[in-house]
Amino acid sequence: MKPGVWQRLDVIARSTVPAFSVFVLLLVGLLPYSIPKLADVTPALTLMAVFFWAVNRPDLMTGFAAFMLGLIQDLLTGLPLGVSSLVFLLVQAASANQGRFFHNKAFTVMWWGFAIVAGPAFLLQWLFSSALSGALLPFVPLMISYLITAGMFPLVAWILVRIQNGLLRNL
Amino acid sequence: MAQHSGPQQRIFSPIRTALHRFAFILLIVSCFALMLLGKADTVLIERIRGAAVDLVSPIMSLAARPAASIDDVTSRIESFANLYEENLRLREENRELLAWQQIARNLNYENKRLRELTHFANPPAQHEVSARVIADMGGAFAQSMMISAGTRDGVQKGQAVLSDEGLIGRIADAGYQASRVLLITDINSRIPVMIENSRDRAFLSGDNTDRPILTFLTADASIAPGDRVLTSGHGGAFPPGIPVGIVSSVSENAVRVAPLFRRHQVEYLRVVNYGLAGILKDPDALHSMPHLNQENQTVNGIDLATGVGVAPLPAEDGTTEDQPGPASPPSGSAGSRP
Repeated sequence: MKPGVWQRLDVIARSTVPAFSVFVLLLVGLLPYSIPKLADVTPALTLMAVFFWAVNRPDLMTGFAAFMLGLIQDLLTGLPLGVSSLVFLLVQAASANQGRFFHNKAFTVMWWGFAIVAGPAFLLQWLFSSALSGALLPFVPLMISYLITAGMFPLVAWILVRIQNGLLRNL
Repeated sequence: MAQHSGPQQRIFSPIRTALHRFAFILLIVSCFALMLLGKADTVLIERIRGAAVDLVSPIMSLAARPAASIDDVTSRIESFANLYEENLRLREENRELLAWQQIARNLNYENKRLRELTHFANPPAQHEVSARVIADMGGAFAQSMMISAGTRDGVQKGQAVLSDEGLIGRIADAGYQASRVLLITDINSRIPVMIENSRDRAFLSGDNTDRPILTFLTADASIAPGDRVLTSGHGGAFPPGIPVGIVSSVSENAVRVAPLFRRHQVEYLRVVNYGLAGILKDPDALHSMPHLNQENQTVNGIDLATGVGVAPLPAEDGTTEDQPGPASPPSGSAGSRP
């Protein structure tokens, strides 16, 4: 039996959900909150989502999707072009191959996995941003940002798991 | 998708793997190509950045409203907590400001008289656009904000952006209905400044911390913590005399400045066009200058209101350099504020 037009459209729409969720998280991160000092240490929400989808649905969070999402992030936030693309692409490549490892394991294992992947990702971003701006960027906010990002992962992952179970179960 | 059977699988699977690898390498190469392209800082990239900001600005300006109401609650709680101290401080400040208001009135009057006497040519009137902050590109790497005004409202790249307290940055990319503001704390920001009292010239260079550094200071410059830092107007990007910050620490290798704005509390900003071409050297930007006489801008002459906070009037202040005779006594007395 051939699937109808609506059914196919539905499948296409659902398969863009992971990439779209990263975009939404990017915008959430951009909202102006009036919390003192937050601006220096914003958690990298997008990085969490790219990691999560690359592990759970590498077929929907492809390298190309990661690249494009990084590009959008750089364009919107005024970061040097190409850096986030590179970071997301490498995170995607590194975690897509580990998908089987995290399968049927406790969530803590995935949390640790994220913490381990995010470290080099932050470092890489720092290195390239520093190189492209021609001066060493401050390191302490980066460390704090990393810790907050690693600490907040369960919260974001919880939301993404809900999305995955709700929208992508049969895909 | 149906699984391929044996022989087909054997042929296609290595090809697919090779294609995957090739695509991955291609994407990595594209990343580096983008870095080079971005470093070249072309007009094209600027346009694309502007367009990207434009695309998300409707969503952001909607989403920023609930965020603002949450802010309202937190700031209320915050203000309840230190109501008493705040009240004391404000009373003190009010007393001080009333004294300054009197001085400013006198000076304004005196200045007007002196200008009439010397047939002084008034600086060009400035155009102002008010805009709401719709995004804060926080993070360890980015120091910029998105505002809800673009070329539609006469905003152009390079224009000065002020908060209520003083200079906050300049327009980095201007879209049609939104633009990105590069804060003075960003690593790419260089602003020609001077110290209010000593008139020493320097550059205020951001380094992505919240305390930018004064660079290119002369060796004999006399600077102490607490000195006010104003724009010097050199390079023609900004007019002289906009308050920028207060010297926060002076050490052997760095003089750091605390900007006047508080980043997490900035809600509305003013984009000011002083009609100075300055760093806008590219013909494209200059070509678009005639747009500036459009309807939804307010035209401010040099008025008392242009002075930000307790600073002397920007326009007057700038003229003191060129006109040491009649105008310097007022500036001297105004500048001696601790």
